[in-house]
Amino acid sequence: MDTIPVMQFQDVVKVYPLPAGDVVALDGVSFRVDRGEFISVMGPSGSGKSTLLNLMGCLDIPTSGDIWISGTRIREMSDSALTSLRRDRIGFIFQYFNLFPLLNIIENVTFPLMLKTGKGVDPERGKEVLRAVQLDDKLFTHTPTELSGGQQQRVAVARALINNPDILLCDEPTGNLDSKTGAGIMDLMTELNRKGTTIIMVTHDSHIASYSKRTIRIADGRIVS
Amino acid sequence: MIFWEIAKRNIRVHFLRSALAMLGIVIGVVAIVSMGILGNAMVATVSETISSVGDSVVVYPYFGGGGMGGGSTGDLRITDQQFQQIKRVVAPNVAVPVQSTSERMKIGVSGDDIIATVYGVDPQYLPDLRFDLESGSNNNANSGCMVGSTYAKDNNIKVGSRISFGSDGSKGTLRVTGIIKQRGMSFDISTDNAVVVTESWFENTYGRKDYDNVVVKVKQGQDSAAITSTIEKQMNKRDKVVMAMDSKVVLGAINDMVGQITTFVVAIGGISMIVAGVSIFNIMMMSVSERIKEIGIMRSIGTQKKEVMSMFVYEAVIIGVIGSAVGGIMSLLGGYVINIYMFKSTKYLFTIPNAISITEGVVFGIVVCLACGIYPAWKAANMNPIDALRHE
Repeated sequence: MDTIPVMQFQDVVKVYPLPAGDVVALDGVSFRVDRGEFISVMGPSGSGKSTLLNLMGCLDIPTSGDIWISGTRIREMSDSALTSLRRDRIGFIFQYFNLFPLLNIIENVTFPLMLKTGKGVDPERGKEVLRAVQLDDKLFTHTPTELSGGQQQRVAVARALINNPDILLCDEPTGNLDSKTGAGIMDLMTELNRKGTTIIMVTHDSHIASYSKRTIRIADGRIVS
Repeated sequence: MIFWEIAKRNIRVHFLRSALAMLGIVIGVVAIVSMGILGNAMVATVSETISSVGDSVVVYPYFGGGGMGGGSTGDLRITDQQFQQIKRVVAPNVAVPVQSTSERMKIGVSGDDIIATVYGVDPQYLPDLRFDLESGSNNNANSGCMVGSTYAKDNNIKVGSRISFGSDGSKGTLRVTGIIKQRGMSFDISTDNAVVVTESWFENTYGRKDYDNVVVKVKQGQDSAAITSTIEKQMNKRDKVVMAMDSKVVLGAINDMVGQITTFVVAIGGISMIVAGVSIFNIMMMSVSERIKEIGIMRSIGTQKKEVMSMFVYEAVIIGVIGSAVGGIMSLLGGYVINIYMFKSTKYLFTIPNAISITEGVVFGIVVCLACGIYPAWKAANMNPIDALRHE
């Protein structure tokens, strides 16, 4: 095992300046995530979960403190460099699947790969990843709206995996699915983690959180356990 | 590239509004280009009719400072002495003295009276005036005359027809020896609707030996502007007695005027292009605001700003290129219709100036679309990905 954590937060503070006064969303958060971990982040709404997720996803930079993604300090990175980091190192999975309606399944899945290579669709690589998330071959040329919620979320997982990211970042991945389908997605996550994928999952559902090996609880911008 | 594909599909999904935006551009391009084609045809017609007679400087008697009743008509001629002076001044260019009057005349024995201009020109100068003949010859004997082509056509005149001058032929009868080809608008002698007689016949009939104007035919390689100013300077030493008019200057002024009219009508066409641009801007803003969430997803999974921007720019470019291309083709058709209606011919249609006009119109259309697509695209690219992602 290498010793560099895939993600490390060091005294991270995030303050949103508002006309009515500054809002401290995160107040000195420190933790590290090692390769192969399966972590869930839990907390009530307003606790700073979304802010934490945005920072972990390199969509935002901290007001103070430092964040490292696989040893890369993101504090002073340009927008373009952060964008490349998101593309190459992080796989996003959203609550509402967020597939592109104008693209078919293969195109959706290979979209981040196309961003990376600057080339067209690589159907072979797309099919490979789609099979890894156990999606039926017949659906590959369909559009997202023709798929069920569970199928769409599998496509979203495949899209997140296509560039072999260091971390899979999930925002309520089963929040928009019925419990049976949700369980199917969680089984898939567990399987991916067993094969070595690092997963961080933000959720308020303690049942879903129970799939993970470690839970970070957050309240009022601080880690409480 | 995938963003090109997305742009294409978005246009297809919103086909109606994209087609309407394209229609706007089509109308804009057609408006500009067909006005340009009209202007080019006008310029071509004017220069064709005028420049064929070659450079000439026409010398008129000075009419005074303007106003009515200034001096008798007898004063408003160029005397033989003045003509000799002009001749010396302009040498080696040829000075042609011309007499002219308006006269009542009758064709054959039982025709209606008509009124036309009669020019008196010494036959020795006819080669200098470069009259091309439709038929007959310019061998004007004293009892012969030549007529212009319009005059001949209107009055059904052939070589050999007879014209009697004055009421009831009181001023004598001449036989038509030649018909002069159409010369169009010209500055020296407008023969199309006139009769050209010999100087001696004119003098005998009207009893005067002075001239209404002098046409100086400028030889190749000579500067008409210099000749004009020399005439003015030499002839008007004591009093202003003559005015000299350079056909080149007048032609330039007319071309300038036509050019200005063309610019003006093209500018009016340009307004429709601006309107089209506004509609492009509008649909691009719509396209962006409908897809804020999509932009947020793209940005969060690693799409660069410039890639998001390119997607919207492609959309504007596709609309612009298709709209402008269709507009270019349509304006060729529009130009065809204008040419057929106004000039009864398409000879002014397939010309280099028109090719330039069409290219300009098409390029302008594309540029307008691009310009109107850039701000929405920039706006899309620079959205905060977190806000965009949260957008419903």
